[in-house]
Amino acid sequence: MQDLPSVLIAGVLLGGIYGLVALGLNLIFGVVRTVNFAQGELVMLSMYGTYWLYTRLGLNPYLAVPPIAVALFLLGLLLQRFVLQPLQDEPMMQIFATFGLLMLLQNLVLGVTGGVSMGIDWPAARQVLLIAGVRVSLVRVVALAALTAITIGLHLFLRDTMPGKAVRAVIQDKLAARAMGINVERAYLLTFGVGAALAGVAGALLTPIFTLSPAIGGNFILAAFAVVVLGGLGSVWGAYLGGLIVGIVETFAGYYIDPALRQAIWFLIFIAVLIVRPSGLLGQVGAEEVGFREQH
Amino acid sequence: MPSGARVAGGFLGGMLLVLLPMLLALGDPYWLDIVTFAYLMAGLAGAWNIIGGFGGQFSLGHGVFFGIGAYLTAILYTEAGWSPWITLAPAMLLAVLVALLISWPTFRLRGPFFAIATMAFNQVAFVLVNYLDWPTNGPRGILIPFRAGLANMIFVQRWRYAVLMFGFLALVTGIAVLLRRSRLGYALLALREDEDAARAAGINVLAAKLEGMAISAALTAVGGALFAMYLRYVDPPTVFSLSDIGVRFALLSLIGGIGTVAGPILGAALVVPVENWLRSTLTGLWPGADLVVLGAAMVLAALFLKHGIVGAAADLMGRRTRR
Repeated sequence: MQDLPSVLIAGVLLGGIYGLVALGLNLIFGVVRTVNFAQGELVMLSMYGTYWLYTRLGLNPYLAVPPIAVALFLLGLLLQRFVLQPLQDEPMMQIFATFGLLMLLQNLVLGVTGGVSMGIDWPAARQVLLIAGVRVSLVRVVALAALTAITIGLHLFLRDTMPGKAVRAVIQDKLAARAMGINVERAYLLTFGVGAALAGVAGALLTPIFTLSPAIGGNFILAAFAVVVLGGLGSVWGAYLGGLIVGIVETFAGYYIDPALRQAIWFLIFIAVLIVRPSGLLGQVGAEEVGFREQH
Repeated sequence: MPSGARVAGGFLGGMLLVLLPMLLALGDPYWLDIVTFAYLMAGLAGAWNIIGGFGGQFSLGHGVFFGIGAYLTAILYTEAGWSPWITLAPAMLLAVLVALLISWPTFRLRGPFFAIATMAFNQVAFVLVNYLDWPTNGPRGILIPFRAGLANMIFVQRWRYAVLMFGFLALVTGIAVLLRRSRLGYALLALREDEDAARAAGINVLAAKLEGMAISAALTAVGGALFAMYLRYVDPPTVFSLSDIGVRFALLSLIGGIGTVAGPILGAALVVPVENWLRSTLTGLWPGADLVVLGAAMVLAALFLKHGIVGAAADLMGRRTRR
């Protein structure tokens, strides 16, 4: 049991990474009601963008966060406006469209990079901190800190600002929100853009941690879905909590049972949550049923 | 409602039309292989379409049933020496059991939640099969030795495979035609359009979904078994691939016309040859170039071809189909 602290800390840090990836997905899922299978690919694109900025221009990956986030925001606007908005009331077609985007982006990057795995050689990525006698990687701690900051920021944005209140109104009742003069389409556009920008932030922060490959988005997206469902649809803190739980469970299962089975174990937990409490730990009860009924 | 004789005539005529490509390709091994694979995929898409199209339950987990058919047949044939024809029975049975176990809880979920949950089952199956050395032989997969013979479902002449797959397609299509006109078929259509209204009309929604899923899963397992004997090799990444298997059945149905009997056949008839052509011409550029085109096609089909080829053809003829 003397390994317990280090396994726990590793789990929390992994949870930070999953939470970071799941934030944007959860926002889009919760507000626009779109299951964006291509969210992992947006993270992957951002990682390659950060890599490119670092190797070509020598830009510090953390300084790459603003330009990457802006680029992804714009990409998100385009996707929402021209692909997902026309399919607003057809969730099945949205699944197809975003899965098509996933295949398209993944293989496009495969072609451009020739499928060679790459990673950045950034000195700061090798920095190690001592926490409670456990050696932990600095960049992972930064990822968790960023997740915490973004979650708080998003919480305040949704609670206190006018656009945030508009978004919450749209979540609760699209029709009533429209009757109150809220431009629902614009709220969706903004949300999808912010969700994509969050994928950009995640990508830039994760670039020093992972070896890049075109298929890395696929690893993220399934974990992110588990986080979203576990934590609760559209709940900002749900994504945070869900990320930590998935990260901790995965690390413990990997350490104490078998590394090859860790994914199966949290998938089973995820399925159990879907069955017992489909709205997630912090989600609104009934959202999984009511939320996807047609609202006009 | 068209009369029974008209429907039977339409089915036979349609099947004769589907047989034509095989007859044309008889002398050409390259095209014969494409036609054979198209028959198999059309049958599998048709099986998915029973619950995914008629019932509107958007399963992305049919790779599980496909894998059960493929693996059970490969294991029983190589380990116990069972004829693949015999193994179809336990494969269907196990697929139905697993389908009921998976579906009974997940059918409470609607729309995208159901799709994600079924996809998660597909990934669990992948991880487990990949992990277990016994009986699935882990990541190495199972190689089925070449011993030709009708009882072994292994043939020297390639056209026999085409006939086999055609038989499967005809079986699936026949069942779909019958189902479409049955009480269960109407129940599935009703609950797809509006679950609450269907329940209010006295339909046992859960029972109808479970029955549709059981039929769909059993047929998918048969397709998986045929796939295993056709390739004579099964391994986890092939069988549980989302883009080639789990999501592919849905994609073929969508492109052809989701929820129609002819849709899955038309989808496979278009996609399988085009994909083969793309793979042979574009892979020279870079590996995966064909999937870029396929991905783009998926996005465009979702945007502009919502009712598939069947719907577009009906539009051209100036009348909307009864979906």
